[in-house]
Amino acid sequence: MSVELPFQISIPDSKLDLLRQKLALTEFPDELENTGWNYAKLNQDLPQFTKDIDVNGFETLNIHYVHQKSSLANAIPLLFVHGWPGSFIEVRKILPLLVQSSPQFPAFHVVALSLPGFGFSEGAHKPGFAPEQYAEVAHNLMLSLGYHEYVTQGGDWGYLITRIIAHKYGGKHSKAWHTNFPLATPLNFSVNPILFLQHLFTPYTAAEKAGIERSKRFEKEGQGYFHEQSTKPQTLGYSLADSPVGLLAWIYEKLATWTDSYPWTDDEVLTWVTIFYFSRAGPAASIRIYYEFIHSANGSQPSSFEPTIPLGVSHFPEELRITPRKFVHSVGNLVFQVEHSTGGHFAAYECPDELVDDLREMFGKQGPAFGVVPGKNGYEQRIRANL
Amino acid sequence: MSSYKIDIPPTALSTLKSRLENAVFPDELEDSGWAYGAPLADIKRLVARWRDGFDWRHEEQKLNAELPQFTRDIEVDGFGTLNIHYVHKKSERGLGIPLLFVHGWPGSFLESRKIVPLLTAGSGDARLPVFDVVALSLPGFGFSEGPKKTGFSFTQYAEVSHKLMLALGYTEYVTQGGDWGASITKEIARRYGGEHSKAWHINLILAGPPATQDPSSYTAIEKDGLARFQEYKRSGNGYYRIQATKPQTLGYSLADSPVGLLAWIYEKLVIWTDAYPWTDDEVLTWVSIYWFSRAGPAASLRIYYEVEHAGQEVGSTNFHIPTIPLGFSHFPKELGRIPKSWYHLVGNVVFEVEHDSGGHFAAHEKPELLVGDLQKMFGKSGPAFGVVLGRNGYDG
Repeated sequence: MSVELPFQISIPDSKLDLLRQKLALTEFPDELENTGWNYAKLNQDLPQFTKDIDVNGFETLNIHYVHQKSSLANAIPLLFVHGWPGSFIEVRKILPLLVQSSPQFPAFHVVALSLPGFGFSEGAHKPGFAPEQYAEVAHNLMLSLGYHEYVTQGGDWGYLITRIIAHKYGGKHSKAWHTNFPLATPLNFSVNPILFLQHLFTPYTAAEKAGIERSKRFEKEGQGYFHEQSTKPQTLGYSLADSPVGLLAWIYEKLATWTDSYPWTDDEVLTWVTIFYFSRAGPAASIRIYYEFIHSANGSQPSSFEPTIPLGVSHFPEELRITPRKFVHSVGNLVFQVEHSTGGHFAAYECPDELVDDLREMFGKQGPAFGVVPGKNGYEQRIRANL
Repeated sequence: MSSYKIDIPPTALSTLKSRLENAVFPDELEDSGWAYGAPLADIKRLVARWRDGFDWRHEEQKLNAELPQFTRDIEVDGFGTLNIHYVHKKSERGLGIPLLFVHGWPGSFLESRKIVPLLTAGSGDARLPVFDVVALSLPGFGFSEGPKKTGFSFTQYAEVSHKLMLALGYTEYVTQGGDWGASITKEIARRYGGEHSKAWHINLILAGPPATQDPSSYTAIEKDGLARFQEYKRSGNGYYRIQATKPQTLGYSLADSPVGLLAWIYEKLVIWTDAYPWTDDEVLTWVSIYWFSRAGPAASLRIYYEVEHAGQEVGSTNFHIPTIPLGFSHFPKELGRIPKSWYHLVGNVVFEVEHDSGGHFAAHEKPELLVGDLQKMFGKSGPAFGVVLGRNGYDG
């Protein structure tokens, strides 16, 4: 049983001095002088820990995670999985809402890990650490925290990782999953004949049409980072490790273009980016997931994952790829679907209220996933009077 | 026109050294070799040498001694005047055939270094033709100014090159190009071919596929060449995809981190060559030209974006095919090759040579072979002999 240690973000002065020196050499230091290194607020808002987690066939990795229990004992255990260029910070706004207890909606116990190679988690040291391994880490973390049955929420890589969790550990451990990034491959008559026909005869909504255009633009103009990261992450990694300016630009571009006019403050951006700059494994480690995915069996051909546990989807209009509604049924056992009129890729950060409302609805008393975790339905247990 | 000596200011050298001293390296996965990109041991070693030991001043002096350089303002329609840096060496005997050498990315005028003496040599075999060589720094590369506005694509690169030749008094000339140089010289052949450009030679031939193909007719070499292109698209063109869509985003890294720039370029120097025995100083000289470039390293990436967005993708067959004589040298470790049955999409191939060694940077890796090919193509018994009126590469 591995030991949980409390964790506070604390960057050594030597690293801060080196960053200052580098920034002093840039051509536009003024914009970067006030980099928000004040992690005290993050440490206050997010109770963090580290723990060693074993991974089958790989090494033991020390994993950093946020963990906050609701005051309600039988809150639903929820695992939140971020993506790239995200981090555990994406749980920041939804956390206080999710753990709230109320007769009106379910409460959750929340676990948000730093994926291996991100934030303050160790990164893998050997090749081949693919999304299946990330899923195993997340699942083993939940087990080690005593959450043998849980639900998940994820976007970006979090979508794929929680899909793998739903497939491999679904039923017995993962009981339902929710995503804001339902990537579906185009329907195939031989695979989903009914869905294919339904899709054929259902006209696209205006939102879907706009979304398809957006997806095409993304494919044409927005995937350069994906191609480089999935083929030569080490080559790119030298730039991201050595240049805070380069790292900032690389990530900021996504923060701006992948969101729905989110009013980033400079300090918000810089806090987000410095988590990468000061990450335990270094920024170059975070992009290896792209390479490992493409080179894994499930990355190089249509995936074999077929999860059957209940799936909930929230659609945000400025997401990178818009999945037409009928396609979403091929992602999993769709029981819940909500369409929003604003919001983008980083839903938990941009639209925390909406995302939490969706989870509360999906898992709430009238919801399709109510009570999926036996004994932990997120509501106050009524003490039955013995009549 | 003024003569030019590379003379990087001392502050630039000391800033570089400071950055190298502050270098922060990523880790690396165990036993990963080249699979994920440039290996850490190589980059660390090169950075250490660049920081202490590599003598830029010495390299600079050698370059200045070997390559007579100049700058000249060239007017470009819609883009104003650009100050262009170029090498210009006349043949040491006879009437040299004016030859414009056009580099690509991540190349530079430096790629002409080894072929210039061979092409211009007076002491060589008198049966072989000699050349006057012009090797420009493309706008945004080396010591040429870069364009300040968007839209500077093949048309403009060709225009600059052509106008440079005219300004040097070469109303008729021939061209040699690889990488972007192959596409740019194709554009020159299209726009100025016949009247000005008389023949062109390339070492990267990209076009097609044609509307109808018969893959069963392809030879083993042709199949292999196409397979190499497929592999390049599958695993080797990430750089292209980012440079063609978000060059500015990447540019911050390359401008700010000499380590990042070194890795970005070094990876290509190794994987695109045929086991070329790079010395560390050779690599560092090459990369320093990017680091110290007049427009900065970010500017050099923009050609990818501009070409992609002008609808003039490399290999595009939408345009008039040039008719002037085309020569082609195959080096086996080039990024790929197209079948002979597609050549009509590129041009009028009159000369073709197969080599059994060499890669993408032919002029640097195999200067004797490349020069030999040009001498054959333009020599007395060659298919392009005498294309330039009055300057056939021989005496009188």
